[in-house]
Amino acid sequence: MDFINENLLTILILLPVFGALFTLGHALYWKEEKDLKWLTLIFTVGNFIVSLLLLGKHTASAGGFWFEKNVPWIKAINTNYHVGVDGLSIWLVILTTFIMPIAVVSTWHAVEKRRTAFYVFLLLLESAMIGVFVSLDLLVFYLFFEASLVPMFFLIGIWGGENRIYSAVKFFIFTALGSLLMLVAIIALYYYYAKATGGAGTFDFVVLLNALKSGKQLFSVQAGSLLFLAFALAFSIKVPLFPFHTWLPDAHTDAPTAGSVILAAVLLKMGTYGLMRFNFALFPDAARDWAPVFITLAIIGIIYGALVAMVQPDVKRLVAYSSVAHMGFVVLGMFSFTEQGMQGALYQMLNHGVSTGALFLLVGFIYERRHTRQITDFGGLANVMPLYSTIFVITTMSSIGLPLLNGFVGEFLIMIGMWKSTILSTANGWNYNYIATMLAGTGVIFAAVYLLWMVQRVFFGKVTNPKNKGLKDLSWREIGLILPLMVLMVYMGVFPKPFLNKSRDAVVAIQQRVVGQAGGTIDKADATPKAEH
Amino acid sequence: MTENNLLSLIIFAPLAGAVINWLVGGRLKNELFSGALACGTIAVSCIVAFYIAFFAGGGALHAEKPVLDHLWTWIQVGSFRADFGLGMDRLSGIYACFVTFVGLLIHIFATGYMHGDKGFYRFFAYLNLFMFSMLTLVLADNFLLMFVGWEGVGLCSYLLIGYYIKRDEARRAAKKAFVMNRIGDWGVLMGVFLVFTLTGSISFYDKVVDGAKVPSALNMIAQMASDPFTAGALVAGGITSAAILLFIGATGKSAQIPLFTWLPDAMAGPTPVSALIHAATMVTAGVYMVVRCNGIYQNAPTAMFIVAIIGCATAVFAATIGLAQNDIKKVLAYSTVSQLGYMFLSCGIGAFVAAIFHVMTHAFFKALLFLGSGSVIHGMHHEQDMRKMGNLKKYMPITWITMMTGWLAICGIPIFAGFFSKDEILYRTFAPMASWAPQAKLAGIPVHMILWVIGLITAVMTAVYMTRLMWMTFYGDERFHLVLDDAHPHEAAKTEENAFAEGDAHDAVAHHDAHDDHEAAHADDHDDDDEHHHALPADFHPHESPWNMTVPLIVLAVLSTLGGLVGIPAAMSGGSITNYFEHTLEPVIAKKAEHKTAEAPSMEAMKSTESTEAKPLPASETKSEAANAEKPEEHGDAKTELTLAVVSVLLALSGIGIGIALFGKNPLRKLPKILEDKWRIDELYNGYIVDPLTNFSIKGLWQGFDLGIVDGIVNGAGYFVTELGNVLRRIQVGFVRSYAAFILAGAVVVIGYFIYYGFKLIR
Repeated sequence: MDFINENLLTILILLPVFGALFTLGHALYWKEEKDLKWLTLIFTVGNFIVSLLLLGKHTASAGGFWFEKNVPWIKAINTNYHVGVDGLSIWLVILTTFIMPIAVVSTWHAVEKRRTAFYVFLLLLESAMIGVFVSLDLLVFYLFFEASLVPMFFLIGIWGGENRIYSAVKFFIFTALGSLLMLVAIIALYYYYAKATGGAGTFDFVVLLNALKSGKQLFSVQAGSLLFLAFALAFSIKVPLFPFHTWLPDAHTDAPTAGSVILAAVLLKMGTYGLMRFNFALFPDAARDWAPVFITLAIIGIIYGALVAMVQPDVKRLVAYSSVAHMGFVVLGMFSFTEQGMQGALYQMLNHGVSTGALFLLVGFIYERRHTRQITDFGGLANVMPLYSTIFVITTMSSIGLPLLNGFVGEFLIMIGMWKSTILSTANGWNYNYIATMLAGTGVIFAAVYLLWMVQRVFFGKVTNPKNKGLKDLSWREIGLILPLMVLMVYMGVFPKPFLNKSRDAVVAIQQRVVGQAGGTIDKADATPKAEH
Repeated sequence: MTENNLLSLIIFAPLAGAVINWLVGGRLKNELFSGALACGTIAVSCIVAFYIAFFAGGGALHAEKPVLDHLWTWIQVGSFRADFGLGMDRLSGIYACFVTFVGLLIHIFATGYMHGDKGFYRFFAYLNLFMFSMLTLVLADNFLLMFVGWEGVGLCSYLLIGYYIKRDEARRAAKKAFVMNRIGDWGVLMGVFLVFTLTGSISFYDKVVDGAKVPSALNMIAQMASDPFTAGALVAGGITSAAILLFIGATGKSAQIPLFTWLPDAMAGPTPVSALIHAATMVTAGVYMVVRCNGIYQNAPTAMFIVAIIGCATAVFAATIGLAQNDIKKVLAYSTVSQLGYMFLSCGIGAFVAAIFHVMTHAFFKALLFLGSGSVIHGMHHEQDMRKMGNLKKYMPITWITMMTGWLAICGIPIFAGFFSKDEILYRTFAPMASWAPQAKLAGIPVHMILWVIGLITAVMTAVYMTRLMWMTFYGDERFHLVLDDAHPHEAAKTEENAFAEGDAHDAVAHHDAHDDHEAAHADDHDDDDEHHHALPADFHPHESPWNMTVPLIVLAVLSTLGGLVGIPAAMSGGSITNYFEHTLEPVIAKKAEHKTAEAPSMEAMKSTESTEAKPLPASETKSEAANAEKPEEHGDAKTELTLAVVSVLLALSGIGIGIALFGKNPLRKLPKILEDKWRIDELYNGYIVDPLTNFSIKGLWQGFDLGIVDGIVNGAGYFVTELGNVLRRIQVGFVRSYAAFILAGAVVVIGYFIYYGFKLIR
């Protein structure tokens, strides 16, 4: 047991890799592919069960990380295999392992060609995604970050829809281009550290952070700003933040259902996670300086994503654009630099994973039946598929942010965090934090518009298209797939406390790091409500 | 602080009913089971609500402090906390009682009305879910849990308006209702944020949770200094801003200008829904919130002024439309909007108690009128057009007599419930308590006097259109087979083809013609689970409804007749009868110093709040206490109040007279088209807001920016790369490799650039 606990994260990363090798070996040896989905399912479920051990007993290391492991990797450039989780990443890791079995089962009858490769890629993708969330060495992080691109590139490019090649290439170029700059920044940090200490450089995030925390001036203000932007560009494209979002609708639309689910639930979170973990901790001053820009882009994204989603004729594309809006909320919350906003942002990442993942899953169900996603091809589905329609409407409500479902808690915390933030100017009697919140709040209205309009056109009314008349309602497999997500939607909406408690310390630490250097004004306001009125 | 764990039973009983009906009812398909379950759970709520309100520990309605029930801490981040906690004070006690009681009657009525409907269980699951949400809204002990109920009732309203999913106008109306409510909800959220920043709390009551003191945000604001009566206060980010943001929410939920257009459309839902949600309970949630936050509003004279103006304007505006509608439910819907306007007028002039009084009496008589109309529609085989009715008193005597009491009540004839509450509002408008009243003048005339005159005119119009409704329905000739030449529902539908109401945005993109489907759907024979009008057979005779529909009518008729007696103004009884209603609610209303001293720090007001709160009910004492806290000249005004009452009765009678004169002989009299077309507000919204926004989203944002600019740049770069690849290929390199090579080259350039500058910075 001790061995497992000590190497828990390594096991989580390697188990899928082992699974991929095993699957490959099985396929090569037996020359058949029909059991592969079972193998993959077993490995992903296994990984999920192992990941639940993260919630068990743990001791925090000096750096505040749990299940930390630090062994030298390439001595020549002083890079270490350094992994660990904290409140920030723990739920994201579990979200990843939780979503994977669902993604696997969603492909049960959908994947016809090259099944071996498909399942191998899925497993490798899981490994890379977990690696991203647990890496504490920048170079290792970068490698995982890039590694996650490759399987997804192929998932879209081989098993995707009509425009799969275009979409896959677009996805790859957008994200790879952004992360190249991040690599540059990582290398620069290495040399800055070497220069400041006079010794060897380092890629170790914890070492760098401690150096910065102890007041070492590793880089100038301008350099810090540049480094911040280099990191932020990579992450912003991943999120995606307006105006870097145009790869997302294409990638989503052409990805197979499993790909869309993973993309929405996990891959996008790498961007927001990265911003919070690296950008805020390493470059707090730059983060504050650039916050107005990011807040503006986030708000544009919220409104823009919603408006464009409203007019999409394709259901999947609509959900993709809604992702742009939702992720805008996440970025907004983070850059409010308040405990509520940042906790809300983290919570919203999980919510988005659950709700949007569920939406893509549901769109996949209907696509398998009808091989179309055009809204005009449907209508009156509630008459032929009542259960499906009910579940879809509940998921929609979660996405809209109906209280007592998960989406509300995140959005509410983000907005109240932004509202009481002090990051934007309050000059001339205009509190721009209020205005930012009010603008972002309109996104909540638009969310109701575009989702309910779609629901209305797809599910309500009479069955006008004869092709929809004989549609079968959900099978037990499909119910089993969606049920865990539904349970989470309700549970996370009614009892958010366990989730928020777990992440509190890590989030507050980052928040303190960002605002602390400004004199901790935000925090003080938090501790003592204004009594002078 | 009194704890009573039974409180949670009030909300969770209906929730359990909803869940069980949903899970089990669909399989059983047994109307008796589903109906009994739904009614039974509401009965439980009702009994518990009355028990806590009147009996447990002396009764919440008579206690100094609210009865609380903390369930769990919902959200707690930093200094922000929102509990899942319930509380019943005098205000929410009154609300809980009449909501559960009227709700129970409507549930019973619905078992008859929905008899034979395929989705019987589903209907009652939604209805129970609605009761859960409504009671959560009312019993919540903080803003955020109230918002849960607030959104919940919106959802249930959406589900129930769209209950007949096959009908186009139903799904369109459902969506419109939800979206308009959402616009309002935005205001509530922002208002809550501001309240939180002003006070650091969102709780309604002072309470202790897990050993931590949670102060009441409302009390804290009530004790702050009042904002000045200026337009600038609206955007100052203070109390007035909070009040106006919350009021935006109220306009959405309670269908006030400018967000009122969803309520008449909402009549597409089954009639019990209209009675329960869109007349008696949900739509008064806005009034509830404003009264709940009266401490905020009293410190925000500008906001109160706006509330009064909007309320009064809505009252008269909706009444003009109500005059010309032919659908019996539409008339009642506009009447509801109009009456809600009265309630907000009442809040705006500071008569919060009168507003709640009117909410309650309105719940009785409007539920009665709606259920009566439901009975008529049921008897007429789902015909709603009053032009095709007439002389129904012959066929439906119970419905007729009960609706007559409702008619007298809404017209404001003495003894009937509506008289006392409406008269109270008009009197208070004449002699307002709000601090803005002496300061607001238009061309030398006090604004509240203008409002009073408009209120009187509205009262006359109310009597006219209600008389028209009664005469067209119950008197005159039988017009069951009348053929109308001006039927134009399809045209009306077409004008609303857009994202916020209906239609296909990609009409513009793909030129898909949704109208064809639309026409086809109407041409189809309607499925049997559809509440839709069938052509009546030649020997058709309307029939009286079954007992489970008439009994609720009779009970509501009794309440509409006698329900107003709990709040007889002192002036009318000569002080001999205690105005029970007013004295019960008095402690809920934060006592501000009189408007003459509004600017002075309100220490005195604080004291008086405490002292009145500390007084339990021995009636005479509280009365004098309350009287002291009220305007001192009140008793001297008894004469004025009586005079005004006589005036308004005369006006009501003249309204009835006008109604009979105009429509008694000629029920089909044509009225101005613009009224029938509802002043074309929907067309205005669609033409100037919705359509431009949709077009801009398609042409400007999506096709213009996304596909045009961003992707244009990317694809241009891609094209460049491809071309370069072609060039390179001629130097015998494979396409893929050249592509990779280009990326690599590009990467090298970019990295090189950064390394160069990076090193420069290091050095």
